[in-house]
Amino acid sequence: MSAAARADAALELMRAAGAAGSAARVESLVQMEGGWSRHTYALDLLDPERGSAPRRYIVRVRPQDSVLDTDLGQEFRIFAALAEEPIPVPAVHGYEPSEDTPFGGPFFVMDRLPGDAVNVWRGRDRELLERNWAGSRSIAEDFVADLAAIHAVDLGRLDGVLARDYRATVEHWRGIYEDVRLVRDPVVEEAYAWLLDHEPEPIAPTLVHGDYRIGNCLVDDGRLSAVLDWELASIGDRRFDFGYMSLDYSAGRFVAPGSPLLGAVAEEEWFDRRYEALSGMAIDRSVANLYAVLGALMLFSIMGTGIHLYARGETPDIRTAWSRFVFPGLRRDIATLIGW
Amino acid sequence: MFNPLGADELIAGMGRTMRAAARAEGPLDDFARGQLLSGASIAGLLAAELASREALLRRTRRRLGEEIAAAGADPTLDAAAGRIAAADDGDQLGAALGDLLAELRDGRDPELRGRLLAVLREMTELELAALAGERVPPEAGR
Repeated sequence: MSAAARADAALELMRAAGAAGSAARVESLVQMEGGWSRHTYALDLLDPERGSAPRRYIVRVRPQDSVLDTDLGQEFRIFAALAEEPIPVPAVHGYEPSEDTPFGGPFFVMDRLPGDAVNVWRGRDRELLERNWAGSRSIAEDFVADLAAIHAVDLGRLDGVLARDYRATVEHWRGIYEDVRLVRDPVVEEAYAWLLDHEPEPIAPTLVHGDYRIGNCLVDDGRLSAVLDWELASIGDRRFDFGYMSLDYSAGRFVAPGSPLLGAVAEEEWFDRRYEALSGMAIDRSVANLYAVLGALMLFSIMGTGIHLYARGETPDIRTAWSRFVFPGLRRDIATLIGW
Repeated sequence: MFNPLGADELIAGMGRTMRAAARAEGPLDDFARGQLLSGASIAGLLAAELASREALLRRTRRRLGEEIAAAGADPTLDAAAGRIAAADDGDQLGAALGDLLAELRDGRDPELRGRLLAVLREMTELELAALAGERVPPEAGR
């Protein structure tokens, strides 16, 4: 499909949602680098009814070769539900559920908030976070406060959001591993067996972001301006978020060590104390470690899906092939966490 | 060690990415630039992996074989040791070791199981170091 057709589709959706006037026109629509499970486009609109300055939006697309078979409609509904919560999320403006669109799948439009995405696998970005931690700690304060706010959302406002308990979550990701694996991996298989032998006592369910790390937030002038990438959100055990963010991978370790800080943001003890002060719940790190293993296995399944698609010629995106080099570090994380 | 996509598939993919970039009209957008950078990253990582692959495979096979032999004679273990010794690549080694560890989940020899998992952990450390450009030491981790 042509760029013009994509621009027309985005503008039509904005008009139908009442977010763009009849004289609005697309100034630019450019695909951005990020996005493995979703494609993102930067959309600039000129809309005389809403002022003379270009209005900045993001078009978020679930492509047919997505590495995640998750519902873009749920993601749209979560963004909409969180608009009134003390969590920085962009406003959303219309959802097109059809698979047959000029973007190659369903899409919605949301505001483009100020700020930059932090890449913890880049040394200078980790240094920025470490300087903030050594100074005002404003990023760490926002990071923990936003997580506590996510976990405090009234579940009654989240109609239709996927709910899964521990065992169902483990079986879900194991099923995907089995479906997409091209090579048997004894580290992964043993880790799943270990998780099923160590089911934690359940706690009251909350909204779980599911991919909570600083790289999925925007940072603007030392503050978190947005929490993004809700495609893995569910109603479940909040301890998943603690575990996932504590993976060395989430702190920027690839083949070389990353940040010594939890999630490249804060010292673990400080984070745990702040979270407890904000939420009233103490973090049990032994249970969090169990969820860290599950988080690593989730990444195996997601990246394994991309590799599977690439091997079958169903996506040309070479980043999916590159992700097989993430596996050795995740195996090391798993072996360390379980204590082999 | 147990990584999908072989060197041939990765090299072919890098070629497709380079060709697509060369044929693109106009300046590259961020997405296309990211594709090229990913291809360049694969080239470096694959070179490191290939430089250490055989040594890591040999060492892991030997260490697993030693631990199984130390557990004493047993037809199941002997068969597993044979499959592991004959494994030509990570795919075959992963299948042989995966089957053995699954059998040992019944609790018959928790000590052996623990030692095999320790070998797996050594392997993960060495593989990561090798990707960072370090040579796999033949006796490391013993």
